[in-house]
Amino acid sequence: MTSTVTPPLGDTERKPGRTPAAAPGAATRRKRGDGRFVAVCLLPALALFALFMIWPTLSVFRMSLYSWSGFSAQERFVGLDNFAKLLDDQQFLRSFQNTVALLVIVTVVTMGLGLALAAVMTRQKLRGRNLYRFVLYIPNVLSVVVIAAIFSAVYDQENGLINGTLRLLSLDGLQQVWLGDQSVVIYSVAFAMVWQALGYYMVIYMASMASVPEELYEASALDGAGAGRQFFTITLPLIWETLRTTLTFFILSAVNLSFVLVRAMTGGGPDGSSDVLLSYMYQQAYTNSSYGYGMAIGVVVFAFSFLVSLLVSRATRRPPLQY
Amino acid sequence: MFKKPLALAAAAATALGLLAGCSGGGDDAGGDKKTLKIAAFEGGYGRDMYTELIAAYQAKNPGLDVRLQISKTLEDEISPNMKAGKFPDVVVLPQGRKAALSETLVKDKALEDLTGVLDMTVPGEQTTVRAKLADGMIGLGTNPYGDDKTYLMPMFYAPTGLVHNKALFAEKGWKVPATWDEMFQLGETAKAQGVALFTYPTAGYLDSFFFALLANVGGDEFFTKVMTYEQGIWQTPQARQTLDITTRLLSYAAKTTVGYANEQDFTKNQQAILDNKALFMPNGTWVVGEMKDAPRAKGFAWAMTPLPAVSAGGKRHLTTIVESAWVPSGAVNKDAAKDFLAYLYSDEAAKIFAKSSAIQPIKGIASSVTGEIAGFYGLYDDPSITALVGGFANSAPVEGVSIKTTLFDTANSIISGDKTVEQWQAALHDASEKLRQAGS
Repeated sequence: MTSTVTPPLGDTERKPGRTPAAAPGAATRRKRGDGRFVAVCLLPALALFALFMIWPTLSVFRMSLYSWSGFSAQERFVGLDNFAKLLDDQQFLRSFQNTVALLVIVTVVTMGLGLALAAVMTRQKLRGRNLYRFVLYIPNVLSVVVIAAIFSAVYDQENGLINGTLRLLSLDGLQQVWLGDQSVVIYSVAFAMVWQALGYYMVIYMASMASVPEELYEASALDGAGAGRQFFTITLPLIWETLRTTLTFFILSAVNLSFVLVRAMTGGGPDGSSDVLLSYMYQQAYTNSSYGYGMAIGVVVFAFSFLVSLLVSRATRRPPLQY
Repeated sequence: MFKKPLALAAAAATALGLLAGCSGGGDDAGGDKKTLKIAAFEGGYGRDMYTELIAAYQAKNPGLDVRLQISKTLEDEISPNMKAGKFPDVVVLPQGRKAALSETLVKDKALEDLTGVLDMTVPGEQTTVRAKLADGMIGLGTNPYGDDKTYLMPMFYAPTGLVHNKALFAEKGWKVPATWDEMFQLGETAKAQGVALFTYPTAGYLDSFFFALLANVGGDEFFTKVMTYEQGIWQTPQARQTLDITTRLLSYAAKTTVGYANEQDFTKNQQAILDNKALFMPNGTWVVGEMKDAPRAKGFAWAMTPLPAVSAGGKRHLTTIVESAWVPSGAVNKDAAKDFLAYLYSDEAAKIFAKSSAIQPIKGIASSVTGEIAGFYGLYDDPSITALVGGFANSAPVEGVSIKTTLFDTANSIISGDKTVEQWQAALHDASEKLRQAGS
């Protein structure tokens, strides 16, 4: 294992503006046999990856062109019929809308709050900030089933935390049937998702902010910049790459996490008003025995998340800032 | 140093274990000893009765290796293997589950014909299975294609109806309504005292409600027509009357119903009955066990009544849920599986099941039911009440169309006013027509 040569760092003082890339000459020193050794080492992993990731993904695409119940040998090729039916399926469109709504709401709110909290925690030397960080991070390690149980207590229409507090404040008019009102339920799900994710993103942003050199803040303070100005002109540009990475996470979680949460909390109800793409896909593929149709929804989910990730990544590209 | 070889050995052992785990459940290495694989859903009856049963059967058949797989999420565990072509020999699973495994296999015609089992002699006894079965058990629920071939053996049966608190009715001097007119009168009386007439755990519980109501309104023939998607059936006056009665009943629903009608909170709707906040809910025998630790009003006593008749003296149907056992076509030991199925109807097996309140449709067994649910089974003794078995026929799947979701879940939208009864009827007509066109 020790055969891989670590390149000596040469002159150890690192100059600002120069990334610590491999020192020149390291590549030539690498023996020829190393390449083969690396390939052999990678082979098992690549084989597993192909078997468990690439092949199933290709199967999804293939199955979306068939009408199949999931078990029998009767697979009927139907071409793009499944996709044509999707366009007419009101419930599919509603699930799609819900997914997009969750994606937008959860991303904007979590990112905004996460950034704000991270900035406050790193820049303002808050007393007990480790405690806050700990408390905010806890929801992230909870199982979704526990989260669903917690929010069942929070949203309870009679003795729930929210409605109870509102009653206490004599704001009875603001009380809602949080999980029973078809126009409110998706926001209730969104709130639970924000609550769950906030701590995680806050910690990521804090880690990123901690690496921003203190001198920059000191220099800008001497120039008379306030905390707000510092945040927008120093912090934000310097953690830009981290922000872009988390945006991809948001897209993934809006698709995946929303499914588990909806399944545990509302079951897609009332009357399908909180269904999201994956919960509808599950319903179609299994409960409704339309496996091929479910896989067509899977293809849409795949294409959608891929496309959105690509667009977001393109739209947020900036020349990397170095310091 | 010892540590490194030890760690390597441990890693190697783990890797081997993983590989073994992957290949596990494969072929029975035990030579010519046959393996009978039984998969059972662990429902409200618990798992003890199955382990006891398997032990008893194993003792009788030493030449057979009987293996039991039992789980609350049975479908998730057996489906992957089934997709890979490894089938259990016998499966005991209720219908109407979310994963809809039984229904899918029926749609696929992937079940073994079990008509022969009915004429088999029960092992260790003189009678045939058919002779032991209670009357009226072989029907749409066991012969899913509407012919005389049986694919689903009826295992356990349970009545479902309107569950209520007997003590509250006695205390207030109210009569359990026998007609819908009396029902709505009671609704007004109860409302004046701050009690809601109706609630449901989740909209899915309305299945037994609708089946009985359809049969009460239009008779058995109409019920079968609805279940088999007869052309234009949802545009008939009977269908409209069914929806109108339901809509009227839903206007008396407890206002908390919809907000709690989800997987997480449905017990809060059931609690409303225990707390005397609502009078009736559609439910089954399992609710007694499900809510056994819940607090309740003083003197609370479980009771069940069938749906009221449409007019005085009219027929009243009691929807009966039948849990069934079946053999997948892909099973390896079909003969051993059929022997085992016949054994399930033996007195010995019935006794083991009855201990866990799992009541089989065997003649004369209902009288042995004890405890709180005895009254539920007692309803079958009432001559004016007819048992109703069956549900929507299994058509070929239609993408994006589910008649059950359309019929049941819309109730949530009716209560909240998001949909009208006209929209409901139109959606049902649409779904029913599409399913009929898809054929079976």
